[in-house]
Amino acid sequence: MSQPSAVTPLRHRLRQGRDRLATLLITAGGIGVIAAVMAIGVFLVVEVVPLFWSAAGGAEVSLGVLWLPQEYPGLEAPVHRWQPTLPASDPGPRFGMAPLASRTLEAAAWSLVIAVPLALGAAAHSALFMSRRLRAHLKPTLELMEALPGVVIGFVAGLVLAPWLERHLGFGLTLVMLLPPGLLLAGGLWGRLPARLRQYLPLGWAALWLLPWMGMLWALALWLAPWLEAWWFDGDLRAWLETSLGLDYANRNALIVGMAMGFAVMPSIYALAEDALSGVPKSLADGAQALGASRWQTLWRVVLPAASPGVLSAVMIGAGRAVGETMIVLMASGNTALMTASPFDGLRSLAASIAIELPEAAPGGTHYRLLLLAALLLFAFTFLVNTLAEVVRTRLRRRYRRLGGAP
Amino acid sequence: MSRWWQGRARLPRGEGPWAWLAAGSVTLSVALLALLLGLLAIRGLGHFWPGDIALVTLEDGRQLAGREVKEVPLPDGEGRERLYRTGNRELDGDIWAWVPVAAIETVSHPRELVSLERRHWGELVGRLVAWVPEQGPRLEGEAAWSALQSRLGTLERQREALERWREQTLSPLVRRLESGEADAAATDALQALQARLRERRAAMAGDRLILATADGRRLVQPVEEVLRATRPNAMGVLAKLGAWGRGAWRFLSEGPRAANTAGGVWPAIFGTVLLVMVMSLLVTPFGVLAAVYLNEVAHQGRLTRLVRIGVRNLAGVPSIVYGVFGLGVFVYGIGGRLDAWFFADTLPSPTFGTGGLLWASLTLALLTLPVVIVATEEGLARIPDRQREGALALGATRLEMLSRVVLPMATPAMLTGMILAVARAAGEVAPLMLVGVAKLAPQVPVDGDFPFLHLERKFMHLGYHIFDAAFHGGDVQAAMPLIYATALLLVLVILLLNLTAIFLRHHLRSRHGTLSQC
Repeated sequence: MSQPSAVTPLRHRLRQGRDRLATLLITAGGIGVIAAVMAIGVFLVVEVVPLFWSAAGGAEVSLGVLWLPQEYPGLEAPVHRWQPTLPASDPGPRFGMAPLASRTLEAAAWSLVIAVPLALGAAAHSALFMSRRLRAHLKPTLELMEALPGVVIGFVAGLVLAPWLERHLGFGLTLVMLLPPGLLLAGGLWGRLPARLRQYLPLGWAALWLLPWMGMLWALALWLAPWLEAWWFDGDLRAWLETSLGLDYANRNALIVGMAMGFAVMPSIYALAEDALSGVPKSLADGAQALGASRWQTLWRVVLPAASPGVLSAVMIGAGRAVGETMIVLMASGNTALMTASPFDGLRSLAASIAIELPEAAPGGTHYRLLLLAALLLFAFTFLVNTLAEVVRTRLRRRYRRLGGAP
Repeated sequence: MSRWWQGRARLPRGEGPWAWLAAGSVTLSVALLALLLGLLAIRGLGHFWPGDIALVTLEDGRQLAGREVKEVPLPDGEGRERLYRTGNRELDGDIWAWVPVAAIETVSHPRELVSLERRHWGELVGRLVAWVPEQGPRLEGEAAWSALQSRLGTLERQREALERWREQTLSPLVRRLESGEADAAATDALQALQARLRERRAAMAGDRLILATADGRRLVQPVEEVLRATRPNAMGVLAKLGAWGRGAWRFLSEGPRAANTAGGVWPAIFGTVLLVMVMSLLVTPFGVLAAVYLNEVAHQGRLTRLVRIGVRNLAGVPSIVYGVFGLGVFVYGIGGRLDAWFFADTLPSPTFGTGGLLWASLTLALLTLPVVIVATEEGLARIPDRQREGALALGATRLEMLSRVVLPMATPAMLTGMILAVARAAGEVAPLMLVGVAKLAPQVPVDGDFPFLHLERKFMHLGYHIFDAAFHGGDVQAAMPLIYATALLLVLVILLLNLTAIFLRHHLRSRHGTLSQC
């Protein structure tokens, strides 16, 4: 009896000690890893600070140089210029970051213009209308789109889509104008179909049987485009843009970037918005429909207001992705640092500038630190936007719980 | 516009116009995705198909031979023009020919047209006139063709043997000399070996081909330069399928040629896979450690919640920012310090102070750390608390509970996280441009030289290969098929990885679904 009792405390203490050691190690390792990840922000701030404040006194650049139009020797009016690699003596590097930042935001805005309607429409349809079997296949497919590498999308946008659209500008415009009325027409015709036929084409499977209809719209646009161009744009949309609106159409431009980035961002917005919409407690939707609302009315009046924070956070996360996307912009934008607002001009984004210029910039120099400032801006923007989105989503989850639905 | 969607007798429950726009946006997204994948698949796979060579006779009597690439309307809107890929860069200075369709008299596909793939100058298209070996009789016609085929077979074997010999005998000696540990005897040995190399190379040269282009110019082509010779017009479908398979295999197994616009992508595949492997070795243990800390050890208070949100948000930080961090901290900071301490004798040429495999893997590991942490935490959170309580109640310590009960149950979640991380990392290019990807890496990071895995070396990458061939190559039009094939390969790899992750996650859910019910 006495022998085991002598061994047990020893083994017990050994186990306890091992346990405490392991806990300590896990704690240290966990905190270390998390600190390493969080170190990114600290590193960027530490490297950027000497730009504006140094112990020796005097800043390398002032905020005005970065963000306001400057008088440069050899140029008449004050302008924004990003020419950081001009030789130091004459005429000196130009560090106006406004063209980069503004065009980055513009490209992101264009991509949202394209992605948000597509993603929200798709989310609404698949959360409320789509048949369950189709949804089980389509949702993972659309989410897989998110994994398509930016370099592939950028390649297709820059080397396939851009030259094609340049030649078929009129057709592209016709197609965009034809799609919404064409879809409404499909709805109208469907409503007039005999009920027996309508059974074969249920709304739940519309995503699939609309495909041939869309092909027909494509063909129709192909046929209509020359007429339309002849009537409205004197035969050539591109020439018309140049003469009537004074817009120069660059081969690779903000619109192409917007389309490509919209395509890249759309799946992430879709996935989050769909989760938010389908997470709304079913009792709410059932109640509305029992009171006689159509499914669209249910969506618009009941489900969407309940899920709006989630949808908003989805859009914000999409915006964060669009602002920081590098390869697509690098390959589809022409990389010219211009200070314009025209969607048909090329652009150079903050991220693309970093990717191109940082390997050549001397460490510790002004140019290097400015590019790090660009990285800091991207980091701060995306981090803030994502945090906001996360806070909103936490609120939403709590609201659902209060509404008595699924956790 | 009549309000046809509102409750008429024929429409028991109209959904309104917006429902149709919503349905259309799903359709449009699916169509766009299908269009993109279809484009990549058709163009990428079509690259290896030995297409027929057309012999085009123009109205003015001129002839040209080449493969039709595309046909577009003329800029002034009258008529169309065709683009032919004619090869023969050294004769014409260009491998393309634009021909107005209206000027074409006839198009034929004569069986005797030959396409030669060469080491330099790209493709040659023409007729085989004669085979002039160094020794032996001059042959013409069909005999010349069969002599050429058999000679090409021998040449290929000789080339392979030479390459093996050089790798096994010559290269180790050169490296020893470079590192300065060899003596005079080794130098002599090297010279003898190099003389033998020259000798064996000379033995391969000597034979010549005489060819005629479609417009009648003569050309003498050293056979040693020729890699492959085909007569696509004389091949049946089966033979073409065989050639297609061999072409695809060469694409996967050979190195690039002609400034990345021709040849294969093997070093890029190797670099991508190695990078991702080193990265997952780094990211999985640390990610799991952080997740276990956050979920099992840390006090679940406000601070932990904040940290969790912060980690989650880091997944949304642009990848280029991680690249900047990698360049500033790993390459310039740690790498520069390492160089000053351990490799001072080779300075100023940097060893670790420049981009390389190690720094790129570390950067990607940092980039994918949030993915692994989030996925593992999700798995840990799914394990019912009574499993933990049961283990503790039976007298297990926390370490035993974690290692015997919790971690085994969370294994699928960790795997999912790792695969998602790998899938994300395989497609990232932007950060790599800052921390060590190379347009053309002369040395693969793995070889027979100690320590076998050279983490400081630069490497090639599939994604960067696409970017480089598309934007830094000379003739983009010529590189397009290759870029399509590379892009298809990259997309396939990533889709495969993602599908594996989805499958694993599904497996995990169904397993724990039954667990929490019982």
